Amino acid sequence: MRVSISSNRNRLIGITIILVFWQVLFMFISKDIYLPSPLNVIRSFVQITTDKDFFSILSTTTLRVLLSFAISTFIGVLTGLVCGLNKTIYEIFEPMIVLIRSTPVISIIIIALIWFRSDYAPIFTGFLMCFPVIWSNVVQGIKSTDQHLIEMSKIYKVMPVQIIRTIYIPSAKPFIAAGLTTSLGLAWKVIAAAEVLSLPKYGIGSKLHDSKIYLESDKLLAWTLLIIIISYLFELILMRVFSMSNKKYDNVLEDL
Amino acid sequence: MIKLKKIYKKFEDKIIFEDFSLDIEENKITCILGPSGIGKTTLLKLISGLSKVDYGIITGLSDKRCSFIFQEPRLIPWLNAYDNINYILKSVYPGQNDRDSIIRHHLMMVGLSDDIKSFPDNLSGGMKQRLSIARAFAYPSDILLMDEPFNSLDMSLKMSVMESFKNLWSDSDKTVIFITHDIDEAILLSNTLHLFDENPARIVFSKTIAPNIITRNISDTVLVKIKTEILQNM
Repeated sequence: MRVSISSNRNRLIGITIILVFWQVLFMFISKDIYLPSPLNVIRSFVQITTDKDFFSILSTTTLRVLLSFAISTFIGVLTGLVCGLNKTIYEIFEPMIVLIRSTPVISIIIIALIWFRSDYAPIFTGFLMCFPVIWSNVVQGIKSTDQHLIEMSKIYKVMPVQIIRTIYIPSAKPFIAAGLTTSLGLAWKVIAAAEVLSLPKYGIGSKLHDSKIYLESDKLLAWTLLIIIISYLFELILMRVFSMSNKKYDNVLEDL
Repeated sequence: MIKLKKIYKKFEDKIIFEDFSLDIEENKITCILGPSGIGKTTLLKLISGLSKVDYGIITGLSDKRCSFIFQEPRLIPWLNAYDNINYILKSVYPGQNDRDSIIRHHLMMVGLSDDIKSFPDNLSGGMKQRLSIARAFAYPSDILLMDEPFNSLDMSLKMSVMESFKNLWSDSDKTVIFITHDIDEAILLSNTLHLFDENPARIVFSKTIAPNIITRNISDTVLVKIKTEILQNM
């Protein structure tokens, strides 16, 4: 409890330092167009969140993020598992992952814009950026499994499905959790960027673009602040889900 | 009878077995005694099927199940004592009730009834190895392979773990192949003993030890005499 209070206090100090530094910088530059004051950004934040279209904008971007994240998770975990278990399939798959990972985000966004409608291009971009992160983490997790346990399982002729469920997946769980957390944060950033270029009717990225066009720096930062807050909240929810799944797993064992 | 006939096995340019033959009696404990690194573990891997011979044949293993007690306990850290055994029994006993009685009986036999829900990290070194012994005996195997299972234990723990092994073995009809570099362990726990030498591995001395394993005492004159014979052949 003491640790929690002290770390919360430290975080509050950190946030205060950022705000003070921002205010000082604003007073030094004293041009709202370059750097709006924290107060103006908060005012704009209230304004955008009370706008009649706010819910549609937020929900559409959130849906895009969740869709691309879900597709990346499904394909990433499945292929990562197979590649982690089979060296040949891993070697076949790896060049494709390296190719995707090395391609600049902007190139992927432009290709996605050519291939898809503006509503779907951000989802495709998000998938291509998140999938390699999840895949790599799952492969790493599977490969780091204690081979002594696998050898023991083979001697006792444990069924392969059971070896995967009981040994490989729990071993890879911390790696999978890290991969999912990283890629969820990445999905928000990439999808907002893709929306800036694809300009769907509803989307936080479209609003970021509008703010740039009309030189509304306060709104630009207010939308950015919204992305940071929502992305952080989603990360917290995901971590909560992981800790709940760990507890549930422990309770199952307790009941035996 | 398990028979290894004219076995040849090479590992990374080193010939481990060349023209090697060995007969292993069923329902008895056969001990392979010898220094580290001469191919004792490889022999167990060949018998268990984890490794294949380059030439030669091994007979007497068809349709036989093996269980293994490793040097380190090889327990699954995120499963409790009960589930570590349950895990390996699922493919042989589909019914949870059947498994339950077997698991509880074997945990009781090694003195771990009170630690049924304990995770490996909360067990001492000796308790972990006792759990690994319970797991090996709970599995309905015909052959039990033991790779220096008492190696990492101090003397008092070693004695208690050996007692657990003896209790379980006296109730079973498993063929045990036990490898060690410790002469006392070999004398105390084997019906037949083979002394190995290396380059490539070969048997330099064999001995059948008559006294009952359960009641053996290391200071028995017969055992002291056998120990002297072994030392002379080393």
